[in-house]
Amino acid sequence: MLNKQIEEFRKFQKRTLILGIGKSLFSLLIVSKLYYLQILNKSKFGKLSETNRIKIRILYPERGIITDNNGKKLAENRIDYQITILKEDKQYLKQTLQGLGKIITFSKNEVDLLEKNLKKRSLDDFVIVKRNLTWSELEIFEYYSHNFPYFSINKQKVRDYKNSQAFSHVIGYVGFSPKKKDSKLNELKIGKSGVEEKYNTILQGKEGIQKVESNSSGKVISLLDAKRSIPGKNLDTYLDKEIQEFCFNVLDGRSGSSVVIDNETGGVVSLVSSPSFDINEFSYGINNRKWNLLKNNEMKPLLNKSIAGLYSPGSTFKLIVALLALKDKNFQPSLKFFCNGHLSLGNHKFHCWKRKGHGFVDLNEAIYKSCDCYFYNLANQINMNDLSKFANLFTIGEKTGIDLPNEQQGIMPNEDWKIKKKGENWHLGETYNAVIGQGFTLSTPLQIAVMTSRIATGKLIIPSILKVKQEFETLPINEENLNYIRDSMYKVVNKFGGTAFSSKLKTKKIFMAGKTATSQVRRISLSERETGVLENEELPYKLRDHSIFSGFAPFDNPKYSIAIVLEHHGSGSKYAAPMARDILDFALS
Amino acid sequence: MLRELLYKIKNLHWTLILTVIFLSLVGLIMIFSASHSDGMQSTYSQILKLLLAISIMFFVALIDINTWQKYSFILYFFGIILLLYATFYGYIGKGARRWIDLGVFNLQPSEIMKIFLIMALAKFFDERKLETLKDYLFLIIPIILILIPFVIILNQPDLGTGLVLLLLGLIIFFIVGINIKFFLFTIFFGLCLSPFIWDSLHQYQKQRLLTFFNPYKDPLGTGYHIIQSEIAIGSGGFLGKGWLKGTQSHLDFLPEKKTDFIFSMLGEEFGFVGTLSIVGLFLVICFTGYLISNSIEKNFFSKILGISLISNFFIAGSLNMAMVMGLTPVVGIPLPLVSYGGSSLVMYFFGFGLLLSIDLTHKINKEKNLTNIPFF
Repeated sequence: MLNKQIEEFRKFQKRTLILGIGKSLFSLLIVSKLYYLQILNKSKFGKLSETNRIKIRILYPERGIITDNNGKKLAENRIDYQITILKEDKQYLKQTLQGLGKIITFSKNEVDLLEKNLKKRSLDDFVIVKRNLTWSELEIFEYYSHNFPYFSINKQKVRDYKNSQAFSHVIGYVGFSPKKKDSKLNELKIGKSGVEEKYNTILQGKEGIQKVESNSSGKVISLLDAKRSIPGKNLDTYLDKEIQEFCFNVLDGRSGSSVVIDNETGGVVSLVSSPSFDINEFSYGINNRKWNLLKNNEMKPLLNKSIAGLYSPGSTFKLIVALLALKDKNFQPSLKFFCNGHLSLGNHKFHCWKRKGHGFVDLNEAIYKSCDCYFYNLANQINMNDLSKFANLFTIGEKTGIDLPNEQQGIMPNEDWKIKKKGENWHLGETYNAVIGQGFTLSTPLQIAVMTSRIATGKLIIPSILKVKQEFETLPINEENLNYIRDSMYKVVNKFGGTAFSSKLKTKKIFMAGKTATSQVRRISLSERETGVLENEELPYKLRDHSIFSGFAPFDNPKYSIAIVLEHHGSGSKYAAPMARDILDFALS
Repeated sequence: MLRELLYKIKNLHWTLILTVIFLSLVGLIMIFSASHSDGMQSTYSQILKLLLAISIMFFVALIDINTWQKYSFILYFFGIILLLYATFYGYIGKGARRWIDLGVFNLQPSEIMKIFLIMALAKFFDERKLETLKDYLFLIIPIILILIPFVIILNQPDLGTGLVLLLLGLIIFFIVGINIKFFLFTIFFGLCLSPFIWDSLHQYQKQRLLTFFNPYKDPLGTGYHIIQSEIAIGSGGFLGKGWLKGTQSHLDFLPEKKTDFIFSMLGEEFGFVGTLSIVGLFLVICFTGYLISNSIEKNFFSKILGISLISNFFIAGSLNMAMVMGLTPVVGIPLPLVSYGGSSLVMYFFGFGLLLSIDLTHKINKEKNLTNIPFF
């Protein structure tokens, strides 16, 4: 037993010895590496540490330029002169900043941002003290520069928008990246919305590095080699600067949006959402007070209404219902129906917008006079699931696929949808509402424009901001039927009695076709019907109707399709239609 | 009672105590250099932690080693509970959940776990006598003892401490005399598992491993730290640039200069003389520990514990140095006694306390035996 124990202890002793030898060898390795680094390569590393005084300045890439269809610049870059300081010199910052404050003014925001940036760990050895120097500030600084040895001037290309209001929603703006991943690149700005966001990877480019030699006190002595930044690629769009600006001016700050589509290319010529905000301000960093004002504004200037504003399509939807009806071989469009102003279903009365009624109308008249009763009557033969599926052909209830972020798809209800969302079965009365584009149905102005464009061309147009060649498939709809609808749309504008007769194009020999809609926001109660429906102007703003018009021109060779939605503005024929006329007159001139 | 205490204190291994405290003071000097530009806060806080750590060392040293042996398993379970608490409710820092906020300072249970694991393993191997060691099934218990904390720590995620824990376990297995075949098998098994382990690593951990093989591939990314650290050490030369004068460190080229990269800073400011002295101090401490363990004749627990404690100290120290010189991947191990941080400091002192206790108990026993010998 004792022998055994001695043997075990001996084994333990042996193993610890081996372990000790292993440790000694590893220590030897460490010492030799130390010897290698500190004795053999002292001069090399000494020099390297000297050149570590070589500071790194990140060269932020210039964003690609965004141009319109005619090569006009929508978003470009300007040179921003900045005062910078080496991070290691931050202890001198306080004293020199006082001196600098005497010749250049600092806002509180700027001081806050500076303090925040000083704390960040960034690859850049320089921190920006002051941006957006004016020429006079730059001159004064250069004159007194010997007083400020720790500061240096840096030039950076920053985003500059030519028209900072009209394109705000479609082009978008840039801002600092909140993502942790990019935190090494403090000053990198990325696209935050619109085209800038969607095509950020194309526009952004790649940063470069400039090496700057500084002496022991941190003053920049000379510029060494640089790895240039790679500028972002330029982006051509289908947008038309002139038309966009014209549309923006026509809307004139009213809450609403307009969309113009080139029927041939599917290009979005103009996409305006109003009211707007200043994207240059956003790109520099907007202050809190202004941001809150915009955020709380009732007219929602920050929302891109043309792709994310949801409205009942109203009577523009009748075009789809009519097309679906025409698909049925047994349907006779010329058969007349008597409209006396309302139609009863059970104990509920469905009203036509014209209280006295339209008298005898056929499909053609029902469209250009926009008779609701005719369509209520049609509703009896329409299967809601068919209608819903058919409407999807015109992007109602589906995304149009435009190349912009945050597009809404709206709602095109059907029986399943109702059960899923509301837990109830579909009622015929709801089909009555649906055929005149009211009820659950919600669409964006862009969807209405694309619908119009598809009717005008007979092709499955997909809207695009980026200038790319697209081939479109044909709509699975009889050309004859389409012509019937187009003809009715022509009469809306050009035939006496059409709802937009007063909005004929002023340009001679060019005709517009279209459809008006007055989309109800509220339900008109029975008692109100009896006492007389309130005029729009008498209602509170939020309850007023949306004024909608969609159309295309020229009639025989439709170049453009248009959709206009004015929020809470009244009837489509009175407000939206004349605007569309002005815009198309301008675009076609 | 008081006399006994005085007697004990007199008989403590003062060489070890003084060397260890001296190394910690070097650490304080470096921490001051690394942080004085941001104020004295870190230095003061470390001084307080050091005082606490030294008191703990004395406390541990004056308690008989057999008492510690008795409570080893309880301490182990206590450690596991702390570890689990930190993992689920702990405070998150640097992307990992590894701290428990105690108000005054943050407790890092993984540091505590290392010492308690060593104690538990030593107790285990002491009580199951060596003859049974041939039976492999019997090894399941110590393997589980190692794997539980290892898996928890890996999930925090703290790769560095986890690996040290594993290495420590292997070393204990080695010294207690487990057959070499076991280690060959473990290596083979590890190699087979490595693809799966690679998959389970976090992205930043993979990046670090890749960077280790070629730091110059991405000089501004992950490799940046290693390159800057090498430059810092190399540029120190023979005598160094002088205290507080390291440009690399003071111009913020060195990351984590207070903690993981404090050795690079020392290399820059005190040169080859400085780094060699530190390596020397480490070796002196390790050798003293080895001598203590070697002088024990009967108590197997003390022997295993002694060797394991200095191995823990050595592994952490040498891996940290190797890491900042680019010899091993950067896995985030602080330099024992030198780096800033309370938990690791306290626990290394706890370990030295145990070593002192081993030495003291042994000395007292010897003397007792001598006095007990009857006069003929």
